[in-house]
Formats: sequence, C-alpha cells, structure tokens
Amino acid sequence: MASLRAEFTKGLWQSLPPFRLVLGLCPTLAVTTTGINGMGMGLATTFVLIFSNLFVSLLRRFIPTQVRIASFIVIIASFVVIVELLMQAYFYQLFTVLGIFIPLIVVNCIILGRAEAFASKNNPIRSLADGMGIGLGFTLSLLVLGSIRELLGAGTLLYYDAARPGFHIMWASFEPFAFMLKPPGAFVALGILLAFMNLISQIQAQRGGGR
Amino acid sequence: MRDIIRMIVVLTLIGAASGLTLSAIYGLTKAPIEYQTIKFVKEPAVKKVLTGYDNDPILDRTTITVGADERGKPIELVVFPAKKDGETFAVAIEGHGRGYHGTIGVMVGVSKHGEITDIGITSHSETPGIGSRVTEDTFTGRFQGRPITGEIQVDGISGATYSSKGVMSAVNEAVGYVTEFKKELF
Repeated sequence: MASLRAEFTKGLWQSLPPFRLVLGLCPTLAVTTTGINGMGMGLATTFVLIFSNLFVSLLRRFIPTQVRIASFIVIIASFVVIVELLMQAYFYQLFTVLGIFIPLIVVNCIILGRAEAFASKNNPIRSLADGMGIGLGFTLSLLVLGSIRELLGAGTLLYYDAARPGFHIMWASFEPFAFMLKPPGAFVALGILLAFMNLISQIQAQRGGGR
Repeated sequence: MRDIIRMIVVLTLIGAASGLTLSAIYGLTKAPIEYQTIKFVKEPAVKKVLTGYDNDPILDRTTITVGADERGKPIELVVFPAKKDGETFAVAIEGHGRGYHGTIGVMVGVSKHGEITDIGITSHSETPGIGSRVTEDTFTGRFQGRPITGEIQVDGISGATYSSKGVMSAVNEAVGYVTEFKKELF
C-alpha cells in the first residue's frame, strides 16, 4: 500500500495540474482574482474530481468501452450540478463571483482526464487517493496564484466580502497594481510561477545528479 | 446486437440514477437557495427602507395572497415586516411598474401610521445616466413621509418622465396592497 501514498502525493508536485501538466488553465486564469475565489474554485473542482473518480472506478467494469466517455460526462455533470446547488445554497457570494465557471467544471480537462486515464483503470481506493491529491494540488495552486494577484492587485490577502475583509497586508500608501487583477495579469503571474517551479525542479535535478 | 442493448441499458441506468440524485439534492437545497437569493438581492433594498427594527425582516418574511391570475392560480406577494419588541411597526413590500425599458421593481416601506418610510429600486433596466437617475436618493427621497391616502405623486425627473412614472406606479401598486391587506400585515 506504499503506492497509495505515491498516488496521493504525485498530484502535489510531480503532476501538479495547472503548473506541471498545464491543464485546466481556463478556471485557473479566470477566477483567481483573489485567493478565496481561487480556493473556492479549487475546492469545487476537488469535490467533483473525488466523486467522479470514485464512481467511474466503481462502475469501470460495468460501463462498455464504446460509451465510456458519455457515461463519464453524465457522472461528472451530475456532481457539477450538485456542487453548483450547494454553493448557491450556502456560499451565495462565491457562487455569484465564480458564476459561469462552476458549470464549466464539466468540461475541465483535469476531471475527464483523471477519469479516463486513471479511475477507469484502477480500483476505487487508489482512484480516491488520486482524486484527492490532484484536487488538493489544484486548490493550492489556485490559492497561491490568487493570493499573489490579490496581494499585488488589491493589497489584501484572503478577502471574502465587506464583512470579512481578510488581511490588509500592504502599507497604507500602496497603490494597487490593478493590472494584476485583469486577465493579462493572470498570464503574467502564471508565467512567473511556472518559471519559478521550473527553476526549483532544475536545482533538484542537479542535486540529484551530483549524488 | 447484445453490445448495443448493453450500452443502452448502462447509459439509461446511469442517466436515471443521476437524475434521481439531482432531483433529491434540488429539493434539499431549494429553501436555502431561496433564502440566499432574497438575502443578497432584496436585502439591500429592505435595509434601506426599514430602520429601527430588532428582528431579521428576511427571516420573518410572510406571504400574502393578493388575488388570482387568469388560470385561477393565486398570486403571492412577499412581505418583509420590521418589528420592535415583537410588534410590527412597518412593512416592506415590492411593487412593479412599467418604465421606459421593461419593468421597474421598487421596494416600498410603509409604517403603521400609513406613511411611506422610504423606497428603494430593486431592479430596473432604464437608460444608464438618464432613466437610471430614478435610483438616486434625490429622487427616491421625494417619497419619504408621504401619507398613503389616495394616489401618490411626486415631481418627476425632467428627461426621465417615463422612468419617474414607472416608479410612481410601482409605489402605488405596493401601497395599494398595503391599504387592501392592512389588517393582515400589522
């Protein structure tokens, strides 16, 4: 069962969805205007990912190969609607901010990708571990990217709404760098993070080679 | 042939199971979603027109039946009461009127003595910068303190006559409900 751990941790670095695999960029770039928005999107995706992985894995012998994609999409879409209803009922503000990007989780390639490439070939427990790992990695990536953009673009961290403004980090005379909150700012932030991650990997590889 | 039947059966079963689950979840989340929508869409207007209450007007909302449509279905109206020490002293009720573009929704606060406390526009699609001026306090303030006897008229905004009239007819509709159902409301 040592591999169970491997299935979980691979989503955190080795195949970290938006940075390593460069998958699921649409929500990554669109909703990460604040850390909380990014995290909300990440958690919604994680919920869908865990359950779709579980059910695809449970039904993998039962679903004929010819209609597998259609079946996966129905399963994924059901969980997306569930998450949408739950968010609307309990996190209405997040729901209004994320808007169209919640239903669009259906076409998020990370989820269909995991269902097709992993859950349909592995047992439910391993699929759950895989879903949690990838989902957590995705959530953390969006939280980090959102926080960087929020810090530079608005000077705050973990802002939710007027009643829960999070932390005001920057000094009082700090002029918000509004560019970071706009779509091009998302690309710039993502590019810098990607470069940074590649640098770390390179250093790791060099150290590994030296041994 | 057997393959095709199997595909049909599997897809039907998956579709039916997810449909069933979704309808159950929909039923469970219906009430909270309704509450949230009212809270975030109507609450700002309700808070503007009612003051000095110690209850949650959104939670204490009641519905009154104000008549029936052509097919005999009852038309229901949501009322937000403002209470102090358990006593309703004012209500907020929404009326609708035709503006220059589509319908204008107006939340009207009416006190127990039959005066308008304030009004707030909940929804409109008037021309930005022209008709939309009816949402400003300088216009909505003109309704403050008006007694609800007879038809309520205020000075319109020049250049936005249709929008002003739309707001007035919405206010009169809401006030009409309050006058008609006064016994049930207070």
